[in-house]
Amino acid sequence: MSPKPNELIRDPLFQLNALLWLAQPLPKKCEINPLLYHKGFTVYAVAPPLPVPLELRLMAQEAQIEMQASVTPDVVLAHKGARKFAFAECKANSFGPTSSAAEQAQSLLVVAGPRAADVLGLAPGQVADSLLAFMTPQTEQGPLAKTLASLYKELNAAQIPAGKFSVLGLVLTEREVSIAIDDQASAFFALPSGIDCFIRRAPDTDPRPIYFIPYDPDIDQSPEERKFCRRVLFERIQSTLIAAVGHAHAPCALSLNSDKILNGAMFGMYEKWENRESAKHLRELCRKLMNALMQAVNCEAPNSITFQPGEGWKIILEHSEQQEKVLDALLRFSCVTLDLQTEPQAYLFDEMEDSRPSGAGE
Amino acid sequence: MIRFFDGYAIERMEELDARKLKRPLVKSHLLEILDGEEARTNQGLRDIFDRRGVRLEPLEEELFLVTDDQMGDIGFLERLRPRIVALYSTMKSDELGRWVRRLVLDSPEIDHVWLSGATFGVLWELVTRLSQPHRFTRLVFTHESIFDVDGAALEPGEDEDEVSQDPEDEEVGQIKERRATSFRLVDRIGVIQEKLKELQRIYSPLYAITQLRFPSPVGPGGHDFYDNGRVTNRSQSFRDHRSHLLYVVRIYEQLLKSTEEQAWYSIQDSVSVPGQFHKIVGAPVVIRFQEPLNRVVFDNWIRATFQSKRNRFRLWGHPIRLGPTKVHVYGVDCHLWQPLFLELTAKGCIAIIPNGTCGNTVHRLVTNIQRYLDPGAEAFIGDKPYRQMVEESTRAGEYEPKAE
Repeated sequence: MSPKPNELIRDPLFQLNALLWLAQPLPKKCEINPLLYHKGFTVYAVAPPLPVPLELRLMAQEAQIEMQASVTPDVVLAHKGARKFAFAECKANSFGPTSSAAEQAQSLLVVAGPRAADVLGLAPGQVADSLLAFMTPQTEQGPLAKTLASLYKELNAAQIPAGKFSVLGLVLTEREVSIAIDDQASAFFALPSGIDCFIRRAPDTDPRPIYFIPYDPDIDQSPEERKFCRRVLFERIQSTLIAAVGHAHAPCALSLNSDKILNGAMFGMYEKWENRESAKHLRELCRKLMNALMQAVNCEAPNSITFQPGEGWKIILEHSEQQEKVLDALLRFSCVTLDLQTEPQAYLFDEMEDSRPSGAGE
Repeated sequence: MIRFFDGYAIERMEELDARKLKRPLVKSHLLEILDGEEARTNQGLRDIFDRRGVRLEPLEEELFLVTDDQMGDIGFLERLRPRIVALYSTMKSDELGRWVRRLVLDSPEIDHVWLSGATFGVLWELVTRLSQPHRFTRLVFTHESIFDVDGAALEPGEDEDEVSQDPEDEEVGQIKERRATSFRLVDRIGVIQEKLKELQRIYSPLYAITQLRFPSPVGPGGHDFYDNGRVTNRSQSFRDHRSHLLYVVRIYEQLLKSTEEQAWYSIQDSVSVPGQFHKIVGAPVVIRFQEPLNRVVFDNWIRATFQSKRNRFRLWGHPIRLGPTKVHVYGVDCHLWQPLFLELTAKGCIAIIPNGTCGNTVHRLVTNIQRYLDPGAEAFIGDKPYRQMVEESTRAGEYEPKAE
């Protein structure tokens, strides 16, 4: 399986996971070279909602510059010792200074600027330096840098303090995935400017790492990438369910709802999801898989899994033989038999489930 | 119990000296009880065993008589540390080994204490520091390249798994050679110390230490530690045997703790604005092979592991093929029933351990990779070498005063 070069490095979920891996502790000579971690940077926050300081918003209004009330960069990286913070945003493509993405970029320029400590809720002395870093394919690096320069100039003219910016360009070749580091990023991250490899790739091999964040309904993906990520999400949901059943002591009944299952499958990230529509979409996907699993299990061990609208799923394990049968059916099931491309249907009782506290069940 | 086993041990040593062993030696099996509320209390411990038809009758605080519904008396069980118990028995090793394996196989709350080749490497260095160089010791190296074969019959059936892992039974017998590098080295500590590192450099299966004898400081013989947590008392003192168990168990418990502290991945609130900022914490477990696996071996490994329910790695998952020698598996550790995400390639393995997954999963993975794939494989938790973690864990252990 070898992805189309442009498709993969344009994919925001690949970019986000690549960014997270760049800041993970890994040994030398590993297939992934965590360039940022080696320079002291770790993940400070994933998708934090950051308010734009009020007086700067007012200044922007007066200058007729569009500015968001709050902005959510994909990742904030921090160097604790040097008190440096990088606000990172992944983009499939460049955009122009008059596009809708420009408003977000301008807001990011402001939160990554001299007021970064306020924005992060830190004392001024706790932020010595900050940077806005976009990640995009290298082909987009030049045009995006040009747009950012234009937006910065506009803020500067209105005397709105903005941060430094850089554009990290992704390059995919037959042998590696590399990152093109511009002068700003070079100075900030203490990395040499130019192209540096961070994932080594065997011939004819998809270079993607294990995904920390397996799925994000809020982002635009190609149908192939969406299908891949949906499979990863389904595999993780299935493994969460198998772990729950395998770990149970029969006789017992397990109660699970989509909140609990999704949190299990996503390191607890699901309950932090702010976009309610996206969370709903995730629950619909979860239900789609759970219905298929329920059918597969009940064929082998009738009535072992039941579903109650607004409640979730109940897995009945009356004795160890039944537990074995349920487990066998779950282990045999493969989500590749499902249609991973069609969007799941909206569910009538979702609001009832949605109103339950996160992680409720059992 | 200690007095009984002490007397028993002296009798067996006399018989061993006369080369007429009449009854089996004392064996201990170190078992890890999965951390949780239930396991912390004695009643909880009894319930865990009870579910498998094993009764624990309290004798003293933290000491139980063990009886199996089918087989009758098995031995004694002592909780040595909050998460680790020792089962002491005088049953024949094959019989006991089978019983323990069955118990572990059926119980997601119970696992062997897994001593990998890397852990033994550190324990060996302790042996060299704690014992006089003229003392004899015994090391066994086992590497079975089970995936480096032409045929497909790679994984054990249920019965095959029942066969003793110990090729050289304690009473009699010879090492049986199969598709494996398996040999025993008995020599003076000083001699082995001088040569082992060089030999390991030349021949990597010598990294796959699967048994190690701690010479007894109170007399002849010693205590044979096996990679699956079995320990045979070949000394005349049960007290000494128990103190060695305690020593190794303290190291192991510390190792478990530090593995879990570092490797567990989760989304946590940032300190500065709790409830607002979330960060990913944890460190991947990285295992790097000395030499890349060839395509056939890689395919055999993946097929045997993920197409067989009872595979040696005790893993489940549907591999997502990303290249000729690269797969991702968002799977489950089928022994402890906990999720585990893996990237497996010809060059090594990266594992992501979600928060709550027992550290034993990591130690079993490292042990099995050294045993079945690459004896010289190096492991890391994040950027920290696994060996360094073991070394640091040894500093938490204490040892009885040396006496020769």
